[in-house]
Amino acid sequence: MSSRVCQTCGGTDIDVDQARGSAVCTGCGSVLEDNIIVSEVQFVEGSGGVSSAVGQFVSADGPVKAPLLGSGFHTSVGKESRAQTLQNGKRQIQQLGSQLQLNQHCLDTAFNFFKMVVNKHLTRGRKTEHVIAACLYLVCRTEGTPHMLLDLSDLLQVNVYILGKTFLLLARELCINAPAIDPCLYIPRFAHMLEFGVKTHEVSMTALRLVQRMKRDWMHTGRRPSGLCGAALLVAARMHKFRRTVKDVISVVKVCQNTLRKRLTEFEDTPTSQLTIDEFMRVDLEQECDPPSFIAAQHKAKMQQLEQELAKKLDEVEGEISCYKDEIENELEKSRPKLRGIYAAYAKQIDPDDVEVLSTATEPEELVVEDAELQAATQHLTQDFLCQVIQEEEGQDKKTDDNEHELVPEKEDTGPQRQVPPLAIILGKLPRSASLDLQQTFQAFNKSGTEQQSDDARLDGGELDLDGIDDQEIDKYILNEKEVQVKTELWMKENAEYLKEQREKEERIRKEKEQGMYKEKKKTKSKKREQIEASTASEAIEKMLEKKRISNKINYDVLRDLNRGGVGSGGGGSPSRASSDPPHPNTSTRKRLSRSRRKDPQRKAHEVNQDLAVNTSIMGKRFCRLISSTPKKKKPDCKVENSVTMTTQTTQAAADPPTVPEPETSPAPTRPPPNVEEDEEEDEEMEEECVSALQLVGDYGCEMEEEDIF
Amino acid sequence: MDSSNDEALDIIVTNVVATFRTRCHLNLRTIALEGTNVIYKPEVGKVLMKLRKPMITASIWSSGKIICTGATSEDEAKLGARRLARCLQKLGFKVRFSAFKVVNVLAVCSMPFAVHLIDFTKNNRPIASYEPELHPAATYRIKNLKATIQVFSTGSLTVTGPNVQNVATAVEQVYPLLFECQKPLHK
Repeated sequence: MSSRVCQTCGGTDIDVDQARGSAVCTGCGSVLEDNIIVSEVQFVEGSGGVSSAVGQFVSADGPVKAPLLGSGFHTSVGKESRAQTLQNGKRQIQQLGSQLQLNQHCLDTAFNFFKMVVNKHLTRGRKTEHVIAACLYLVCRTEGTPHMLLDLSDLLQVNVYILGKTFLLLARELCINAPAIDPCLYIPRFAHMLEFGVKTHEVSMTALRLVQRMKRDWMHTGRRPSGLCGAALLVAARMHKFRRTVKDVISVVKVCQNTLRKRLTEFEDTPTSQLTIDEFMRVDLEQECDPPSFIAAQHKAKMQQLEQELAKKLDEVEGEISCYKDEIENELEKSRPKLRGIYAAYAKQIDPDDVEVLSTATEPEELVVEDAELQAATQHLTQDFLCQVIQEEEGQDKKTDDNEHELVPEKEDTGPQRQVPPLAIILGKLPRSASLDLQQTFQAFNKSGTEQQSDDARLDGGELDLDGIDDQEIDKYILNEKEVQVKTELWMKENAEYLKEQREKEERIRKEKEQGMYKEKKKTKSKKREQIEASTASEAIEKMLEKKRISNKINYDVLRDLNRGGVGSGGGGSPSRASSDPPHPNTSTRKRLSRSRRKDPQRKAHEVNQDLAVNTSIMGKRFCRLISSTPKKKKPDCKVENSVTMTTQTTQAAADPPTVPEPETSPAPTRPPPNVEEDEEEDEEMEEECVSALQLVGDYGCEMEEEDIF
Repeated sequence: MDSSNDEALDIIVTNVVATFRTRCHLNLRTIALEGTNVIYKPEVGKVLMKLRKPMITASIWSSGKIICTGATSEDEAKLGARRLARCLQKLGFKVRFSAFKVVNVLAVCSMPFAVHLIDFTKNNRPIASYEPELHPAATYRIKNLKATIQVFSTGSLTVTGPNVQNVATAVEQVYPLLFECQKPLHK
């Protein structure tokens, strides 16, 4: 017994109870020390006559700093967070690993990875599931087991890429270089799943050879290994006269039908595919192929080259043909029957209209007069290109024939002239962008002089440098009033629902503000409960009991007696305050237990025993609230519940083995969690009143007096 | 170390992303209703405005922060940003153009040879990583340049970095590594 000074009241009279291992100030009742470390071993008899030692395990690699004795010694020294995390992780690894049929060695390695990850704080902000899966996959890769990331994501129902991201990050942080995936690893696994019976081994061998050949032919870089395996197995199966359809294979291999077909096509393109089965087994071709995507790109490049050559040739030919075209048109004009009246005017307008359409299609914004020549040039080129395109569509062989073909329809009014503008719009990007670019480059050239000055000046002060910004153009971006009105109408109509929602939300917030109950970002969904309005604790308890029967193990009569029995136990309050261990109420009576619980509201309850501690803190405050007449939301309800919880804990506590404080013993369902937050916030302010609450249970008669004092 | 051979490598910048601030609160609804080429997303809380002249898409938030994407060069990005600010000014907001910063530059480049990705990854662990199950390209991250290069087996690269200079340097850095693991072509 060391004489210390109590921090709350300054009193020096400290009562140390060795049996309970606690030091309590007799003046104010605050517990100074709890769980005093003793070097004796005590045994307790549990239910069924089982003897167990009193005490808790403290891990060797736990928190380095010694737990503070005196103030601030909280009750959650069961298992600190790190150990719990690791235990949890180990459990999940075992669970997931057994589903994947990994052996124990792999699971242990995975657990080691997990420990490393936790030490590096990489689990922060990530779901444990993902981290576990990534660790397991890491092991699979380093050991070379035939497990795919897809398998893991299947088990967890998580997107593969999310798992992949986590996996990549872990691999990078832990500096683990996972060897690259070899499709050969998956062959035996898939072959087994395809059920080839006795010949599984042979089919696997053949498939392996195929995959190796594919590797040599550069089909496997950048592709999912499972796709390759699928293709190889399909071919191997057929070679050994097994009927495995594409569907069978893809259900096993987990790729899409198209992928499989593509792989087969690519393989078909390689020279190896030309060999017969026997030849393939015996001979290995020396030649290696290029990757298929590379070949495709080359093919495209070749096509483009061809097109360019064609264009050049056509340009030459077109020059001549345009002359012919003009001549022929003139002739036709003369020979065509003249339309009278309006139609004449109409007929004349068609041609220039077509031209106009073309030009407006190409350059909507800036038809600068000085660039008219450029426009004409671009138009001409456009038309030529379009003609070429039309030709290519019709058939590339007889170019001259096609040209004449083209000329013939041109004689009529609805010639390609008509066709050309819609074609321009439809085919559109090609010719238009070509001419656009031309236009733009020329315009850019004009503007470039002015623009270059703009960038260098100031701008940090926030002044907007207006050089190079065409105000007129900017104005085009802004609608005028009438347009604004129209748009507003449209927008309101479109978004009517959203606007309604917003308005309702605002109204709701306003109402709540008036009632003084508005809380910012109240997203927690708390169960709605009716408030029991009662003026005294006994009434509240009775009402609550009427409402719900919590458990048939509770002696409800005792609850009712609580209030009456309070006076007698009020006197025994002081010595019994020296109770510690809220989770281990082995020896204390009901009443004393309740009082000991009440002391806890002073302490910050966290983590493991949060439930219990919170429970006790709520209790304390509840009794305080009982004094205050204003019916706070849910308080009387919870208060009453807490009295219930008290008694339930007393009845259950006796049965509990005292070794580990189990939060589960607290009848958590009866207590609404959100109140915890509210209560803890107000923890401090209620502290003083809790003292009076202590006496409350004793004498309800003194309620009012206490209220006055504090 | 000759970074480029006889044929110079064309590094084509395809996208430049830049941000700036207008230092004033913007009413998104006004912008949405009075501007052309705008898309209003009230759920997210932003307005997308597309400019034609430098082909740019800007995300405008009500706090005054604006992100500009789609430009093909840093200068173009700046020009587009200023145009946008001018447009907002005309709509009636007291816009100040400040804190302009190019955040990301994306460029593509093509090697004249194909690359053997597995060898490349093996030689450059752990800077390079290749996961064929996830992405067909090998990723090479250069920490000091803060650039990421994705190498495809055909030899094309896409490079992302904080500015054009870094991107060019990154390509130069990675070229010799790729050259070692090239795949000789047959056709």
